[in-house]
Amino acid sequence: MATQVLNFSGHQYLRQRLVLSVLSGKSVRIDKIRSADKNPGLQDYEISLLQLLEKATNGTVIEISVTGTAVLFKPGIISGGLVTHECPLSRAVGYFLEPLIMLAPFAKMPFQCTLRGITTDDMDLSVDLIRTVTLPHLQPFGISDGLELRIKKRGAPPGGGGEVQFLCPVVKQIKTLNFVEPGKIKRIRGIAHAVRVSPQFSNRMIDACRSVLNRYIPDIYLYSDVYKGDESGKSPGYALSLLAESTTSAIHCAEAVAKPGGTPEDVALLASRALLSEIRRGGCIDRKHQSLVLLMMVLGSEDVGRCRMGEASPRSLQFLQDIKTFFGTSFKVVSANPADRSCKESFYSCYGVGYVNINRTLA
Amino acid sequence: MSEQQTHKAHRPAQSGAKADKKGKGKQHSGFNEKAFAPKSGRRADRQGRRNVERDQTRLHVPLVDRTPEDAPPPVIVALVGPPGVGKTTLLKSLVRRYSKQTLQDAKGPITVIGGKKRRLTFIECNNDLNSMIDVAKVVDLVLLMIDGSFGFEMETFEFLNILQSHGFPKVIGILSHLDLIKKQSALKDTKKALKKRFWTEIYQGAKLFYLSGVLNGRYPDSEILNLSRFISVMKFRPLVFRNNHPYLLADRIEDLTPRETIRASKGKCDRTVTLYGYLRGTNLRESTKIHIPGVGDLNMTSVTLLGDPCPLPDVDSEKRRKLSEKRKLLVHAPMSDVGGLMYDKDSVWINVPGNFTRGPADASQSVPQGEGEQMVIDLQDVNATLEDGIFRSQIRLLGSSSKHLSVDPTSHAQDVSDTDEEEDDDDENDNWSDEDEEDSEEPNGSNSDNGEDPSVDSGENDFLDDADTLITSRGNNGRGAYRNATRPLEGLAEKEEDGDIAFADSDSEFGGNDDFFRPKEIAESYDDDLDMTKEPLLPEDLQEWEDEENLDSIRSLFITGNETATAGTDVEEQNEEESGGEEYEESETTRAAALTAKKEALKRKFDEQYDDPEGDKMDFYDEKKDELNRQLQLNRAEFEDVDGEARTLVEGYRPGTYVRIELSSVPCEMIENFDPHYPLIVGGLLPAEERFGYLQVRIKRHRWSIKTLKTNDPLIFSLGWRRFQTIPIYSLDDHSIRMRMLKYTPEHMHCYATFYGPVALPNSGFCAFNSLNGDSAGFRVSATGVVLDIDRSAKIVKKLKLTGVPFKIFKNTAFVKDMFTSALEVAKFEGAAIRTVSGIRGQVKKALSKPQGAFRATFEDKLLMSDIVFLRAWYSIQPRQFYNPVTSLLLSDKSRWQGMRLTGQVRRDEGIKTPLNVNSHYKPVKRIPRRFNPLKISKKLQASLPYASKPRAMKAQSTKTYMQKRAVVMEPEERKAIALLQQIRALRKDQVVRRKEKQNERKEVHRKKVAKEEALQGEKDKEKRKEIMRLAGIKHKRQADAEEGNGSSRKKRRTSS
Repeated sequence: MATQVLNFSGHQYLRQRLVLSVLSGKSVRIDKIRSADKNPGLQDYEISLLQLLEKATNGTVIEISVTGTAVLFKPGIISGGLVTHECPLSRAVGYFLEPLIMLAPFAKMPFQCTLRGITTDDMDLSVDLIRTVTLPHLQPFGISDGLELRIKKRGAPPGGGGEVQFLCPVVKQIKTLNFVEPGKIKRIRGIAHAVRVSPQFSNRMIDACRSVLNRYIPDIYLYSDVYKGDESGKSPGYALSLLAESTTSAIHCAEAVAKPGGTPEDVALLASRALLSEIRRGGCIDRKHQSLVLLMMVLGSEDVGRCRMGEASPRSLQFLQDIKTFFGTSFKVVSANPADRSCKESFYSCYGVGYVNINRTLA
Repeated sequence: MSEQQTHKAHRPAQSGAKADKKGKGKQHSGFNEKAFAPKSGRRADRQGRRNVERDQTRLHVPLVDRTPEDAPPPVIVALVGPPGVGKTTLLKSLVRRYSKQTLQDAKGPITVIGGKKRRLTFIECNNDLNSMIDVAKVVDLVLLMIDGSFGFEMETFEFLNILQSHGFPKVIGILSHLDLIKKQSALKDTKKALKKRFWTEIYQGAKLFYLSGVLNGRYPDSEILNLSRFISVMKFRPLVFRNNHPYLLADRIEDLTPRETIRASKGKCDRTVTLYGYLRGTNLRESTKIHIPGVGDLNMTSVTLLGDPCPLPDVDSEKRRKLSEKRKLLVHAPMSDVGGLMYDKDSVWINVPGNFTRGPADASQSVPQGEGEQMVIDLQDVNATLEDGIFRSQIRLLGSSSKHLSVDPTSHAQDVSDTDEEEDDDDENDNWSDEDEEDSEEPNGSNSDNGEDPSVDSGENDFLDDADTLITSRGNNGRGAYRNATRPLEGLAEKEEDGDIAFADSDSEFGGNDDFFRPKEIAESYDDDLDMTKEPLLPEDLQEWEDEENLDSIRSLFITGNETATAGTDVEEQNEEESGGEEYEESETTRAAALTAKKEALKRKFDEQYDDPEGDKMDFYDEKKDELNRQLQLNRAEFEDVDGEARTLVEGYRPGTYVRIELSSVPCEMIENFDPHYPLIVGGLLPAEERFGYLQVRIKRHRWSIKTLKTNDPLIFSLGWRRFQTIPIYSLDDHSIRMRMLKYTPEHMHCYATFYGPVALPNSGFCAFNSLNGDSAGFRVSATGVVLDIDRSAKIVKKLKLTGVPFKIFKNTAFVKDMFTSALEVAKFEGAAIRTVSGIRGQVKKALSKPQGAFRATFEDKLLMSDIVFLRAWYSIQPRQFYNPVTSLLLSDKSRWQGMRLTGQVRRDEGIKTPLNVNSHYKPVKRIPRRFNPLKISKKLQASLPYASKPRAMKAQSTKTYMQKRAVVMEPEERKAIALLQQIRALRKDQVVRRKEKQNERKEVHRKKVAKEEALQGEKDKEKRKEIMRLAGIKHKRQADAEEGNGSSRKKRRTSS
């Protein structure tokens, strides 16, 4: 029985394709990875991701061509357990954590993953957001007990030196999502963290942020989180992560990271305004977590899952197409308000594939 | 007299005794509380307990039933039993009962309508074990036939065991041939005995039917009617495995392969086959891989929804209480000869009852022919193909044309191919242009051929389209990428089919032609296409939030914001303003309706809380069931309004529909050796089940199976949809430290088995067989069990004892040889614990330079040269990667499938003698008695030993001790004293001796005297006994004489009289 190999090209969306490959068990071949680029082939962080996947699974075969422009990935089973990984400094820990979060509930043993590297940067979700926003997004799917992200050390770019520990329980099957009420924003929380800079920076960020958000709602708590000494990594940096929770516990988030030469006030304003934009986009799911929720909807039991989302990001659209190639599942997408043409929110509904965690041990 | 007499209508009494009675009567017709009230407290207690217990029987684990309520698939009813038990007769009787048709040759599944809401598919299961396994996996209701005159047979029990391991469907037992038992009492006893056995096998109270003799080739109608009533009210609980796999029992099979290809390959080419049947289980998707038990894993080329050949009665007939007679006639059995139609392998046979002759050609007027009959007869007359006809035709394009139209076969073929290509291209263009057109299309217009793109599924979402184009502009549309990837790599694609991927060695395969090393001029901007989750924040984009108006516009999204001023209603209001009156009214009414609904809900909530605060609290069980029901309703409602094609795209083909599945590259043997008596099942596979791995299962040898199972002996498993042969390794958990290999399965105990095979979900049951052949004696189900774990490697170890002997012994150190062969091996085992057979423990220290593999070891005591040192190690073993699917449906003789044989079996079949190893011969064992050296314990050690442990002296001391040897010199007085003492002692001794002599003399005299007396006494006793005996003898004689005298007197009397 020759298992089919799915072909893709281009380096984009590598993460989601690898994740879908592991979950569906279908082998993938990805070629033309930056074949026309001056720096061809897989980047160090992509290699590192493949290594991480190899660590977290059993029986995975990865073949990379000599030039690194093509890779064949034959997935094994997700074994989980203790995994330790040194992330390269080119990408933050979030880059590696995101695919891991998608895989972890379906492992054989509960995940206890330690990742070291940069914890916050401007490309990937910071560990704060993953802890406060990404993990709660898994709760409606029945993954909550023992799901935890511990931030042991923070590491700002370019030096890194942060460390997080990701704990994830194992589930048998995930619940079907039915989340169509976005509700109204009832509280705003935030974490202003600063490492190897004046602790006053985080307070300044909080003040600036409040100046924008105080007009809407009184329930705003912004935590100032200053790491010192050994726990603060190797480079200075500060950032503000914000999240808004609605009455139906829909979460929207935004984040801004310090840039050289900027002031904390700039960062705070950027973050709070980005949060406002995010809130305006509507839906029950944060824009950055659309693909996570879509994946979990597809992996649900063989029932109809429904979700209301704001405008789909290009990543999510590509993700939908990849889901179709891997699982053969299509979504029904209907505008949330058919009478209103300008309404960009829509209902996503799909029939779950009835994915059962086959890796789980009974004995 | 008026013409129309009007009668006064009856007016029931409104009051009085009658009215009271009526009301009361109604009250009393129900449950009379008093009548059932317990008479005593004890009884009340018992009743209460019984009620609670009865309530508990209701509780099962809530399971989703995914079969649609409106049009469920037919219930599969299988008739199972040993040959000659009356299965076919029962099948015919049942079909006759439901459809009023008599089948001559009942083959394959037969679908009939059993009631207003139920269809039934009958299938007869033959005696082959393969068929039994397959049937057990799909059947909903088993009619288990037992020969009442014979009793249970092995097959019945085998089938029940198979059923048990694949989820237990409902079983009705049927005793047949009861008319062969003539005696009433024997019949009663037989029934009782069989029932008892049946109940222990199924459950206490399982339904058992009795069929008496056969009338007109059928069972008595009344008994069949009774049976059919039981079938029609049977309720089914969904089985877990079937509740998450789509499947289908094929009732029709067609070969679509072009005849020419078959002819060219002499029938050996792979076939394109279509299978037809009702879908069951879950929704079937096009991407699902399928497995046909007995054939193998196959890919579906296409699935088509067909009209229901045996539809359930629709709404108008629904009003009747009973099924209309017309409906009853419907029966769908393509493999049988229903209605004179018979579907053969490649033809359809029409059975014309009576005889049919064509008659002479000119006598057409004499035989009245219908139009259809005429057409059929004309068809039989044709002796040239259509193509020939075209060649011969002389059609002129115009009446004035000089030449008729001619057909050039070669050019025609080219034309066809050309147009095909063009069409293909057109199709592609169409696809692209369609999407372009969508923008211009009416937003509400349903778009039928955008099926492949989920994101543009509903044409209403313009923004999705925009986003789509956004991706294309980035140059990495998933679809585009797909095409690019597949096209230029033809060489690779070929390799892929071989399953051999070795692309790491040469780079040129990766689309790298000559221009591989030349970087393209337009290198994409690197930053843009980083795989980022966060979109970059641009301060320019967020400038708008400096505007107060913008900031206020989203106030409604917060709980503190104004209710009415939501963004949606804002727009609505605008719309209202634009469109004016009608819509305004509409929205008014909707608003009012929403308000009333809200009020209703509030009222209900208040009522519930006020009247019965506990009432709305459901117990866990009800809550779960309610949740499942709600989800099912949502499932139904969500895609109600979507048109059929899009619906199947999103949710797949629903169970209960009749579909046609097209399969390509099916082995030709499946068609050539097709036999409708063997069930043909199409089982859908979950994505995980396509893969292979090591399965760890909990297994128990069946207690009726004769052979113990041995590690590394092939075993045939029936797991999931599949039947396959594989090689298991048995193991047991050794103190939760390791999985230790077992050579044989333990008796009456579960153990683990690990084997290589296709993955099955954990917790799925299986049964295993040594052989599937019918001629193997004994119980064929060798083992049953359940899947526990799936992995890509197995962790089983077996014990390995390395032995060595000391060749030099120091105090506690010894040099050991013959355990390892090299110093490297020793290095691997440094620090390992070793032991001698006598129990002295030690440790491997370091390798010695000479001889090879010798090492230094320390022990807790000094070794002997005769000691054997051993090292206990664990050697990990992997099960063999052997997987052999049971392809019984491909054989011409389907019950003769032959898997891998054991060596012994091969030797027996081939007549080869077992090679004898000389070293394995048994020789007389000579055991030389071992001589042990005496144990020597040093004095010092002896002295320090406790008394109990001191070595005992073995024999008396021969040398004289010091006390004996010493010379004693005494003083004169002392000497005198001692001499005196000696003399006294000597005198005393002498005295004692003399006394003893005297005493002996006296004793002798006394003894003699006593002997004499005893002798005298003996005489006396003898005399006495003699006297007694003499007296007794006299007495006896007298008695005997007296008796004799009587007798003689009687005799005399007789003679005298």
